[in-house]
Amino acid sequence: MVEYLPDDERVRVGRGGGALDALHALLGAFPAAYFLLAFLMDIAFARTAYWMWADFSIWLITAGLVAGALAVLVGIVDWLVRRNSTRGHGWNWHALITIVALLLGLLNAFIHSRDGWTAVVPEGIILSGVTALLLIVVAFLGAASSRRAAG
Amino acid sequence: MSRLRNLLLAGLAASFAGACSDPAFDDSSQIGPDPVLPRPTQFLIPPINVAPGKGWPAGKTPTVASGLEIKALATGLTHPRFIYVLPNGDILAVQAKPPAEPVKRPKDLVFGYVIGKADSTGGPRPDNRISLIRDANGDGTPELQTVLLDNLNAPFGVAFVDGTLYVANTDGIVAFPYTPGQTKITAPPRVLAPLPAGAINHHWTKSLVASPDGSKLYATVGSNSNIVENGFDAERGRASVWEIDRRTGAGREFASGLRNPNSPAFYPGTNTFFVVVNERDELGAHLVPDYLTSVREGGFYGWPYSYYGQHLDPRVKPQNSLKVAAAIKPDYALGSHVAPLGLTFYSASLMPQFRGGAFIGEHGSWDRHNFYGYKVVYVPFAGGRPSGTALDVVTGFIDAEADRTFGRPVGVAVDRFGALLIADDFGNAIWRVTPAGWKPGPAPAPAAPVTAAR
Repeated sequence: MVEYLPDDERVRVGRGGGALDALHALLGAFPAAYFLLAFLMDIAFARTAYWMWADFSIWLITAGLVAGALAVLVGIVDWLVRRNSTRGHGWNWHALITIVALLLGLLNAFIHSRDGWTAVVPEGIILSGVTALLLIVVAFLGAASSRRAAG
Repeated sequence: MSRLRNLLLAGLAASFAGACSDPAFDDSSQIGPDPVLPRPTQFLIPPINVAPGKGWPAGKTPTVASGLEIKALATGLTHPRFIYVLPNGDILAVQAKPPAEPVKRPKDLVFGYVIGKADSTGGPRPDNRISLIRDANGDGTPELQTVLLDNLNAPFGVAFVDGTLYVANTDGIVAFPYTPGQTKITAPPRVLAPLPAGAINHHWTKSLVASPDGSKLYATVGSNSNIVENGFDAERGRASVWEIDRRTGAGREFASGLRNPNSPAFYPGTNTFFVVVNERDELGAHLVPDYLTSVREGGFYGWPYSYYGQHLDPRVKPQNSLKVAAAIKPDYALGSHVAPLGLTFYSASLMPQFRGGAFIGEHGSWDRHNFYGYKVVYVPFAGGRPSGTALDVVTGFIDAEADRTFGRPVGVAVDRFGALLIADDFGNAIWRVTPAGWKPGPAPAPAAPVTAAR
């Protein structure tokens, strides 16, 4: 894909957008990590029925949602700052998958707030796995898109 | 994946459909020995509804069944939960401040906020004390209201046997030497027996009754969770009734599988006691009915594995088929989420229509949309067993239309004249029910005190 940025746009990206980009990438890494850990906790719980793992999992999911919300906010600001610039399709997919993943994460937070075994098995652990996978893809697409935008 | 999708869709549908009302259901089908049990439902957001507590406006009282009259016997108490009548007629009101429960999950923060709404706004904060109320002539206007005992540890149950007042704090039974008539206890407590408490202490109320011969005390210990979400280790010695030898303090689990049992009471003239039990939450607006049951030695009543006999709870892992097979079906269902906390049998003669039956104080629901409970009911007995339909005796604690709670009934007792007493923890009052237009005659002879068999 050909990336063409007029000179004035390049200046804007270089000043404000670069810092936002970096912040967005930094925050974007957290939800992926939190949800991946939550999925691992769910696996531990499903294997042992030991409650500590389920408690860890719901806190990690909550942290993932908070970090995800912050990342989305920074992402929106980032997008507004340079919406006039030409973008690859990567960004659209990035936004769409992020929203889907966080909505699934929210659904999962409610399921994980049930009492007992069915807080995790079966819906909770499946949602944790899907959310973690989606957020890893999102982080990858975001990083790839940033590289393209910067290059 | 299609199973998962169906589960998710069903959960979503249940949550949103349930956002404004409970599914249509005949609540009266869950009163009696054979309640109708719908299929369990699991929610994304379980139904929760409490009405803000506003206290009683001046001149307003609960509503009583026809032919009865109700008056506030005592006001200005701080969250009275349990009532005990001493042999000389003095009335003890146990007031307790619930121990703080640690936040274990984000959910606990949300629940604490939502359910806390029901507490009386701007009313007095709870205290850990027992007040003594003396109405010697029985006219409903006490001559004396004073603090008998202060600085207890979340007390609930009380029993007086043989010159000793036993108080069930949340962490154990303490004993004080006491002579009826005494209005202040300053003696230090003697610890008779510890009871399971600990850092979580979810169902913290420990209630107490003495055996008819006075040799044993029976203390209830509620579960440490809704449905073992704090792990099985946290449930040791819990969801059970303990038997404590009054002289040695030695204790053992007398019966188990009772999720949150309260207010044990011996059926008059027998050696059988009953408890009221709060069953599990978050399986639906119409599951699981709370109940009244007699308690058998060594009996297991299902929690956490199953309810009403062999109905498995899908949330318990690992299951225990031996325990499920042994689970006893309780005697009499009271309705889902009515939260029965008080139980007393009526053997006085003032209101003969109630002789031989039980009064039950229902604190009221939170785990469903349509308010349920928030009243005192009467369960008739025949041949020492609950029999027939429960009747509403005292209602009007909640105004569902205006989304407002005036008070909530907890403990119930019968005073020396035969009047029914009701502790109202959010209304900070003790209510007294008598026949309409009744005036007390001379005080009846003191009740025979319970003494230990030697």
